[in-house]
Amino acid sequence: MSYIVPIGPYHPALEEPIHAKLFTEGEVIKDAEVFVGYNHRGIEKLATERNAIQTLVLVERVCGICSHSHAFTYAMCVEDINGIEVPKRGDYIRVITAELERLHSHFLWMGIACHIIGHDSMFMHIWDERELVMDLLERMTGNRVNYAMITIGGSRRDIDDDLRRDLLASMDKLKAPLDRIVDIVLNDRTIAMRTKGVGVLTTADALRMGAVGPHARASGVDIDVRRDSPYSAYGDFEFDVPVCSNGDVFDRVVVRALECYESIKIIRQALENLPEGPINLGNKLVKIKEGVSVKMHEAPRGQLSHMVVGDGGFNNHRVSVHVPSYKNTPTIPHMLRGNTVADAGLIIASIDPCFSCLDR
Amino acid sequence: MQEYKVTQITKDQIVPLAERMKKAGRYLVMIHGYLNKEGQPVVCWDYSVPPAIESYQVVGETKLPSIGELYDTAATWPERELNELFGLEFEGLDMSKRLFLPEDMLETQGKGQIMVTPLSELVDNMNKVKEEE
Repeated sequence: MSYIVPIGPYHPALEEPIHAKLFTEGEVIKDAEVFVGYNHRGIEKLATERNAIQTLVLVERVCGICSHSHAFTYAMCVEDINGIEVPKRGDYIRVITAELERLHSHFLWMGIACHIIGHDSMFMHIWDERELVMDLLERMTGNRVNYAMITIGGSRRDIDDDLRRDLLASMDKLKAPLDRIVDIVLNDRTIAMRTKGVGVLTTADALRMGAVGPHARASGVDIDVRRDSPYSAYGDFEFDVPVCSNGDVFDRVVVRALECYESIKIIRQALENLPEGPINLGNKLVKIKEGVSVKMHEAPRGQLSHMVVGDGGFNNHRVSVHVPSYKNTPTIPHMLRGNTVADAGLIIASIDPCFSCLDR
Repeated sequence: MQEYKVTQITKDQIVPLAERMKKAGRYLVMIHGYLNKEGQPVVCWDYSVPPAIESYQVVGETKLPSIGELYDTAATWPERELNELFGLEFEGLDMSKRLFLPEDMLETQGKGQIMVTPLSELVDNMNKVKEEE
């Protein structure tokens, strides 16, 4: 018997609004379509009415999880157009915040994935560890979500010696729970049964559809903007890029879990070698010179790109924001085919989607 | 370090360029679009050529070829977005379904940019009302 099963845009299995139409034969999904746009807030249009400082505040609100990534990428574009060189210490603080953001984002997603598969004790365990990262972000920036750490020409808040010591100690403290989480992820039978062989995206399909971030790396695509096109201070640090090959939900969990170790590695290097000097060039409001720039940043979910067009005035002529979920969401129908309706929620969630980002 | 390089091309060069990039295994970062000061559409095809981003721009064309056959959804989604929000046409692009517009937008209001009153105009109007009061 054939059915068309609609899921969303508002549905208990989904964290954010997306509408998926599943064409099923019995319980098996034969084809699927996804519809987005339910969170379109006209952020890009609003940005044309704002100056660079106001836009930093605006783009941080594109997403509640990767808010720093948006401000970081936007600032890099304006700095590129205006020929501004960020002080080294400011760059290091930007990177430390970005990696803490990646840690909290990956912990958050791993927790949600465990919740969806019904492993709620693991969900609570992971989110408990995430609180350590959230506390660090709060102490460092004053905020848990929109950190406001970026200004044009550097960072807004410094890391003093006490905080630096505490951050380093916290990175050590985080390692043991992370080891436990990775051990459970790799060896737990429940997780394996619900995720292995589910929602497969092959390397060829990931390349063809332009998948990015941990989603692509789980499918064997070895890309990472931080390593391939270094920016800010990323060229100063050594880190590995975990890549898996099966392209199923299990590998997406593994890649994100392993990436947490790399983030800790980067934060440690940045803190140990934190350069002396200013963190910014003064919070001056700059005119955005006539010109165009596109910058990429490896956000927690993958390659994030901003384009800024300046016309010599204070306001942006155009800001264009394109997020990793923009590239990864079209792969959902492909991954759903051949799986059961019961796994649809997990497969959609497995790309770590952010429809707030995607719709802007 | 990450560099941004811009090259102006004509619309006839879009597909051959995409073929070359695809063959070389380059990622399509994004297709961006905007209206320049003269009101002409500028469309940029940004490719990742590590460590640089190479941007190829076409100015003043409203009808462009689609590179969806080469870059699949990485190209068709931004092309659909540019069609809906800027009214640009991409030859060969399936526009039978909406991307960001409301469900009934294609049937009731056709394609093209959704007109939003700029914030500055809203503020001016508000100030005028205040002055009148």
